Amino acid sequence: MDYVSPIDPRAAEPLEHAPRPESLDGRRMVLLDITKNRGAEFLDRIEAHLRRRGSKTFRISKEIFSRPASTEVIERVAIHGDLVVEGLAD
Amino acid sequence: MTDRTVEFTLPLVGGDHVSLAALVQDGPRLLVFAHADCPTSHLALRHLAAIADGPVRPVLIAEEPPELAARMARRSGIRFPVLAQEAPFPVSEQLGIEAVPTAVLVDAAGTAVESLVGWDRAGYERLLGTPLPDRGPARKPGCGSRLHEPPAEGGLDEPEDMFERGWTDGLPVVPPTPERVERMLGGRDPGRSLGAVPPGGGTATLERVAACAVLAGCRPDYFPVVEAAVEAALDPALNPHGLAVTTQPGGVVLVVNGPARERLGLNSGMGALGPGTRANMTIGRALRLVLMLTGDARPGRLDRSTLSNPAKVGLCIAEDEERSPWGPLHVDRGLEPGASAVTAVAADAPLSISDHRSTTPDELAWVLAQAAAVTWSPCWWPMDDDSLFVIGPEHAATFAAAGWTKEQVREAIFAAAVRPAGELKRGETTPAVRESPDDRPIHKWADPARILIVVAGGEAGRYSAVLGPCDGMQTRPVTREVRWTT
Repeated sequence: MDYVSPIDPRAAEPLEHAPRPESLDGRRMVLLDITKNRGAEFLDRIEAHLRRRGSKTFRISKEIFSRPASTEVIERVAIHGDLVVEGLAD
Repeated sequence: MTDRTVEFTLPLVGGDHVSLAALVQDGPRLLVFAHADCPTSHLALRHLAAIADGPVRPVLIAEEPPELAARMARRSGIRFPVLAQEAPFPVSEQLGIEAVPTAVLVDAAGTAVESLVGWDRAGYERLLGTPLPDRGPARKPGCGSRLHEPPAEGGLDEPEDMFERGWTDGLPVVPPTPERVERMLGGRDPGRSLGAVPPGGGTATLERVAACAVLAGCRPDYFPVVEAAVEAALDPALNPHGLAVTTQPGGVVLVVNGPARERLGLNSGMGALGPGTRANMTIGRALRLVLMLTGDARPGRLDRSTLSNPAKVGLCIAEDEERSPWGPLHVDRGLEPGASAVTAVAADAPLSISDHRSTTPDELAWVLAQAAAVTWSPCWWPMDDDSLFVIGPEHAATFAAAGWTKEQVREAIFAAAVRPAGELKRGETTPAVRESPDDRPIHKWADPARILIVVAGGEAGRYSAVLGPCDGMQTRPVTREVRWTT
């Protein structure tokens, strides 16, 4: 039987995860604050830890947690980092 | 059956017809004959599903029509080509297939060089040149081929097929055949897009929206309302992305106003928030299926709601404008009274408010406000997003008897939901509360405009309901006029 699919095949393609790095050495770390409550506290701790290890970090915030990041934020993340740590929940 | 040249062309599931000559161009193939009523066939396919790549690649030749062949592939998870062979099963005839599964190894010249009847894991490993996992017995006798069967009765179980495809919210659906979808479209351009559906980003073509409306059980005359609902729900002002992926339980609730209610038989009376009426149930569900299927907002996938709520099956409320002492919601939102409209509101599940004793409008407004005070989170004051009050007709009559306007009701509810900050400094509370002296009064809403009011419900019983907000979503209700013409 032939049916009309409700699914857009182009959108249904699963996104591939980028390969996980073996090590953080020499990687530029982006710390993305999505502006949820207390996310900054979590990222402060991660940032301090990374800096003690000698990693370079770059801090950036989304405009509002409940909407997708703007193209500008995404581009800055791409320019400044090899890896991203997000503070997701409050 | 071996040492003979094989030639055939069969329909490829998910593609055009394909010939054996084309299949063996890249090397030898193992033709696996099977059918859907044979447990041994399923056992074999379950094992073959594990094959990534090997020197000999399998091809399933299902003694089934294409839709059943596709279903066998989905059930087993196989990823190699599937060919459908229908009665009188010419390829089974050509090779003398008496039982299934039968595997026939065909070399690159198209010559059958070896065969294996029934399930034999070691035999398959040898023919394929690759190991197979242990997913059941190592050997099992096969079943009779369809070659000599009398014609089968019945065929595909369509409702089950819909579940297997995942085209459902968990309830049975109506299969979206091209004929049903065409009737739903009613001459509209199937390729016209209403936009990308977050979070997955699938394009909501009218054809896909119509497919969802068919799946949901809509009648074709509901479709203009479904179209307006999808337009409203995709408006960025509603924040459809945030609503789809949040851990919050809320979802998109629809309120229909205007002549559409009578035209489609929408219920705004007894049981207005519950089941029983096809138009309410299926229009709300159609929108949800667009979000879930075209937008991929499926629970556990991109829909990350911790608990969700039953209203996310779909909730479509019609306002009882005739019993309401006030103007209808769509007029509040700037449309003409004669227009039909859908308003999409981001809201939590309805919370019922029983009050059979209040005799004054002030007392009743206070009770409604106290119920709303616990919505979202009891100490999270003020809330920034909209709450929807559904005022029952008897409660509305109490306000009307005192001559209260809708604006007075809104202001009274707003004024009554206030507490000193000190009472709210526990659990989940807002920065505004934390930073306030204990005696500073804090309102439940940041602004009275965040209180939406409609009238609906049965004529007897002094009940209203409040649907709390999806707070923090920066969402605003969106109203779209229903366009009846294509």
